[in-house]
Amino acid sequence: MMFSIRACGLTLRSRLCLMCPGMDREELYITAHLARLELSEEEIDRFQAAVLQLLKYFDKMMEMDVENLKPTTQLIENNRLREDVLSDYDMTDQLLQSAPELEERFVVIPNVL
Amino acid sequence: MIYIEDHWQGLFLKPQQLKKWKKYANSADKKIGAFLQFKPDLAHISSAEHGELEGVPFAVKDNIAVRPFKLTCGSRMLKSLNSPYTATAVKKLQARGGVVVGKTNLDEFGMGSSTENSSLAKTVNPWDLSRVPGGSSGGSAAAVAAGIVPFALGSDTGGSVRQPAAFCGVYGLKPTYGTVSRYGLVAYASSLEVIGVIAKRVDTARMVFSIMHGQDDLDHSSLEYQPLPEVPEHLTVGIPIECSRDLHYDIDKSFKKTKDTLGELGFTVQEISIPSLDYVVSAYYVIATAEASANLARFDGIRFGERAIEADNPEELILLSRSRGLGDEVKLRILLGTYVLRSGFQDQYYLRAQKIRTAIRMDFEKAYSGVDLILMPVYSYPPFKFGGDGLDPFSQKLADIFTCTANLAGIPAMSFPASMENGLPIGMQFLAPPFGEELLFKACSIFEKIFPAPDSPIYSTEWSE
Repeated sequence: MMFSIRACGLTLRSRLCLMCPGMDREELYITAHLARLELSEEEIDRFQAAVLQLLKYFDKMMEMDVENLKPTTQLIENNRLREDVLSDYDMTDQLLQSAPELEERFVVIPNVL
Repeated sequence: MIYIEDHWQGLFLKPQQLKKWKKYANSADKKIGAFLQFKPDLAHISSAEHGELEGVPFAVKDNIAVRPFKLTCGSRMLKSLNSPYTATAVKKLQARGGVVVGKTNLDEFGMGSSTENSSLAKTVNPWDLSRVPGGSSGGSAAAVAAGIVPFALGSDTGGSVRQPAAFCGVYGLKPTYGTVSRYGLVAYASSLEVIGVIAKRVDTARMVFSIMHGQDDLDHSSLEYQPLPEVPEHLTVGIPIECSRDLHYDIDKSFKKTKDTLGELGFTVQEISIPSLDYVVSAYYVIATAEASANLARFDGIRFGERAIEADNPEELILLSRSRGLGDEVKLRILLGTYVLRSGFQDQYYLRAQKIRTAIRMDFEKAYSGVDLILMPVYSYPPFKFGGDGLDPFSQKLADIFTCTANLAGIPAMSFPASMENGLPIGMQFLAPPFGEELLFKACSIFEKIFPAPDSPIYSTEWSE
């Protein structure tokens, strides 16, 4: 029994270790695209090393037994609700002023099609 | 009680003094570059005429909105953005008479430990101009240490108030999560961060916090401050046994000295254990970058910020605007955060980090059953040099270990100047249970009596004479 648990832990760990080299240029490119970032060849080289270093470090988390722990997603335990009512909002014009390009009260972007 | 030195009180009501102070502030800031925008009269009209902070100048980190100042977050992306509104925390201080005199430099969007990641300016440490002021609230800490303002606001996501305060030899308070409204704070990692205060005196920090806290309709996660019912006469301080590893020689020396001093001052000092400490940096960076990747998706060049005008379609506009507008460290954290949230990897990274976060909270809960406060170093290194002579970005992240624990657990913590080593200030911090701010103020005040915040070589009050 003990053996099988340990073996299981080892498998998990080795899978993670294999995952890191998986962070190749292609993976980084896909991730960058998901984040809407365009990376030059030179940037890919630079970021790949830095991302790998951190992912490798994150593997340390696998040492910890988290079996019976619930995740902490937020620190405020009770949701605070409010009435669903209309309220005045007087900053619309100020917010629009920040747009790079405006046509009357519309924010202009390049053609979608 | 004296909250603030005489020369700060009602400064804006005394034209002669004010003129001399402005001259001093400008010349001091020329040396250290704490401010991205220094305009003492710009928002004066927004401050009430009376209150505890009547005519008292203060500075605000440039990721906290103050109308009509800019709100650059230290980013090229937002270099021309004017703040359309004012953060609740700032409004509350203005309502008691405080005057915002400028916006301070920071690591872009609060991401860093040296303020070197600002895309807009360089801030140096008032103690040694060849060293970093810490970060990310480096400008706020440097401004206070240089005597330009008695206090400044910062934001603390993983230590960004306490660490620069420690590097600059002043006090830095990270309040309990949720006690200060985040409305008007540009979001980086929403479940971790809180607006805090950097000050030259403990009482100043205490007063500023007492004004800033409180539930806010504009921040769903804000809480009413419910202070612990009583502050014991006699305080017991726990020292985690895990803290003594991998400390720079000067930090280790200061840590030991502080433990001894606390004993002499009448604190009961005892060893405790926070076993999860080994995993906090991993858990912190997984959670912080995951939240950052979502929060920073809003910077697309469409509704505000710098836009790549030559783009032919919306997709290209977003890609180009982000790629040009954001700096390297921000891109790195967005990439990491996007990766750990990708389908297939979530359980191994994000979910596991959140479970470790639970373990950290439980470790602290257990520790506080036996002690009132916990003492830890703030950072594993003393203030370091710029660039290649300093600390590489990865080592900087590992050294966040002592600060980011409080953010993961949501508990309050306060850094204080503990000693001088080789001419540089070294900070330690107390951590308290949720809503235990008064414990922090009490402990820091006792220590302040024997070791007040030392004056940096730039610090001067001559303008007030």
